[in-house]
Amino acid sequence: MSETNNHIRILYHLARADFLERVRRYSFVLTMGISIYLGYAATTGQLEMRVGDSRGVFNSAWIGGLMALVCSTFLSLAGFYVVKNTIERDRLTRVGEILASTPMSKTLYVMGKVLSNFMVLAAMVVILAISGIIMQVWHAEAPRVNLWKLSGPFLLIVLPAMALVAAVAVLFETIPALRGGFGNVLYFFVWSVALATPVIASENNRSSLFDWAGLSVIWSSIGAAAKLPANQFSFSLSVGSRNLAQGGPTFQWNGVQWTAELILARLSWIALALALALLAALLFDRFDPSKERSRRVASASAPALVPAKVAENLSLERTWIHAPPLTRLANRQNHFRFGAILLAELRLMLKGQKWWWYAVAAGFIVACAATPSASARGMLLACAWFWPVLIWSKMGVRETRDQTSQLIFSAPHPIARQLPAVWLAGVGLALLTGSGFGGRLLFTGNWRGLLAWLIGALFIPTLALTLGIWSGSSKLFEIVYTLLWYVGPMHATLQLDFMGSAPGTEVTRVPTFYLACAAAMAAIAILGRKRQLQT
Amino acid sequence: MKLAIDGVSKQYAKKFWGLRDLRLELGPGVVGLLGPNGAGKSTLMRILATVTRATEGRVLWNGHDISRSPDTLRAVLGYLPQDFGVYPHLTALEFLEYMAAVKGLDARSARQRIDELLAVVNLAEARDRSLGGFSGGMKQRVGIAQALLNDPEVLIVDEPTAGLDPEERARFRNLLSELSGERIVIFSTHIVSDIEAIATDIAILSGGRLLAHGAPEDLLRAVEGKVWEMVIPSAEMSAAKQKFLVSTSVRRTDGVHVRIVAAESPGTGAVPATPTLEDAYLHCISSQRTSAAT
Repeated sequence: MSETNNHIRILYHLARADFLERVRRYSFVLTMGISIYLGYAATTGQLEMRVGDSRGVFNSAWIGGLMALVCSTFLSLAGFYVVKNTIERDRLTRVGEILASTPMSKTLYVMGKVLSNFMVLAAMVVILAISGIIMQVWHAEAPRVNLWKLSGPFLLIVLPAMALVAAVAVLFETIPALRGGFGNVLYFFVWSVALATPVIASENNRSSLFDWAGLSVIWSSIGAAAKLPANQFSFSLSVGSRNLAQGGPTFQWNGVQWTAELILARLSWIALALALALLAALLFDRFDPSKERSRRVASASAPALVPAKVAENLSLERTWIHAPPLTRLANRQNHFRFGAILLAELRLMLKGQKWWWYAVAAGFIVACAATPSASARGMLLACAWFWPVLIWSKMGVRETRDQTSQLIFSAPHPIARQLPAVWLAGVGLALLTGSGFGGRLLFTGNWRGLLAWLIGALFIPTLALTLGIWSGSSKLFEIVYTLLWYVGPMHATLQLDFMGSAPGTEVTRVPTFYLACAAAMAAIAILGRKRQLQT
Repeated sequence: MKLAIDGVSKQYAKKFWGLRDLRLELGPGVVGLLGPNGAGKSTLMRILATVTRATEGRVLWNGHDISRSPDTLRAVLGYLPQDFGVYPHLTALEFLEYMAAVKGLDARSARQRIDELLAVVNLAEARDRSLGGFSGGMKQRVGIAQALLNDPEVLIVDEPTAGLDPEERARFRNLLSELSGERIVIFSTHIVSDIEAIATDIAILSGGRLLAHGAPEDLLRAVEGKVWEMVIPSAEMSAAKQKFLVSTSVRRTDGVHVRIVAAESPGTGAVPATPTLEDAYLHCISSQRTSAAT
């Protein structure tokens, strides 16, 4: 019994310390700000839920359902990126190595981290729940607040979904391949598919076993209340500026009838979260650097840290007496060559890429140049410019991440020389990887198309550099760019076609807009770097 | 060649100052910056290296205010921070080539200089290996090499011997001594023996303030006649530490041989000893603490 108590105490302190460390950071304030904005958007009608042309009366059940869907959809995406850094922080601060030397088990550590993730996500959910109460009072259509009907969807739909997100975030951190940028990008696609699966099943009048976000629980109940024929039933949760109070007919929905079976189904997601946490504990390397892949590669190619010959040179006599003299530089004047620093940045950017990365990039170039269909070519350009996302995401971040900022920023003209070199290296990469598409435009004399493509090549690295400098992390660009890329070029959404990849974009004002964005972001990046230099 | 620190202060929080009204004038030679942890050494180093701006006061390099025109100093600066990283996927050679480009060295000079520096820091054999596989001491040596790339007129090294083994430390001290002739070398440490043999000037910081500045001889003169050696029984050691400023103590068969810094003889059997820089440093820090307490 005392051992169990001890475990609970350790778990509590692990989660508490981690939670406090997070909530005292500015990023947490920003996260809370986003939650408050979502609550505000729902209250003022910018976020709305509709069934066909109708909406429910603003009673506690409807508002609880709306807010629960907002949490399940938006927070399950944004929340993942907010919490997916808990083990990484212990790794970076080296606290992990101290923890690893204690008797604490891997399972306990991972469970503590999942619990802390869950607490952070739950704090965001609480903000939205409070917004729900404000929303009901604001609209005053059904002034009596029924706490159970309002909070039920949060407790039984949102919290199990958040437990799952908390566990998946830790699982990603314990798998070396998913720990970094690749995991960030992959989660977006996993999330899209996982969210869409029950939606597609529901559209085909089938229930889905994979409704982890609880979407179908709410809309099947709403569908029944709206009394719409199955073929006319359409459900939407949209972000816009429609005025809810005036929009269309209303109907009464009194909330989900929580049966034991339904509750059990929802609680099973918590069980799955626990199972994933146990899997994460199994995979967790306990901060053993020898288990890191890069270390394995390094040690495989170099058997000892100090080769025998070097070790020999360290002998007292040789190091003291035969140390070679250091001659003075003949010319100590600076001979700044922009080409040299640009090449150095480009090499730094591409260093460590495997041969297959180049092979795929080359494949996209050839495919872009050879594909006759303009639409298909556009899709291929989108793919070609998604391929280097993890390289671009390190722009503006590398100095902070690798702790070289003091070395770089104490060199002459860090803003006038090194920063443009980083940016141009990123632009060069875009031009190179998109050259199949650009070459074709050049060959066919499509000058406006070429200009739109060029603007795309300027926009992407500028976005990466700006977000990297201001956030100090690769993550923000990876998320924002993936989202933009998916909604924009991949779905040929004109307003978001920053690449100029879709046929016809070049004759619109869209490229000019993204050129202006790139210019503004470049200015913001310079300001950010100036701020870094003046701390 | 003159680096003047004119009333420099750095405020970190509303009531916390990392540095207060520091005034120093530095010329060619090795300046040893001594002080306990948290004295403000690294803050001063970062300000001098143009990485951080002073809240008050100014730093003048040959008459130019470095907060207004930092590049006048950066062009001739070599800086080794206390905590720094390297790009793990680059080799030592590639990293130094990158830093040479950033510092504006021409290709030929850079190649020649990098070859020499890799030999000087004993990494010639490891030049083509990824930095990710380097030990802490080897990374530190890469840091030393990058600081010397542009043959700097001002070399700022913050705790440079941390992580180096005894031979490497000795080698680095010798290197700095050789380099010091026509440049300003600022060497921050809390290990007195690191600068004892090479510093031409010593500045002692504590609590963000400058306690003393002068030639080592001047500091030693201040404790002349105040250092004593005596042998005391082990049982009395604790009481002696409470009563006197004990500089060193060594256990022997006849008792504990202690070195005490005191204005007057600490007791019977105490004999005057020749002061060392460590005695002078401890005396300086202890005097400041005593005056702050009263």
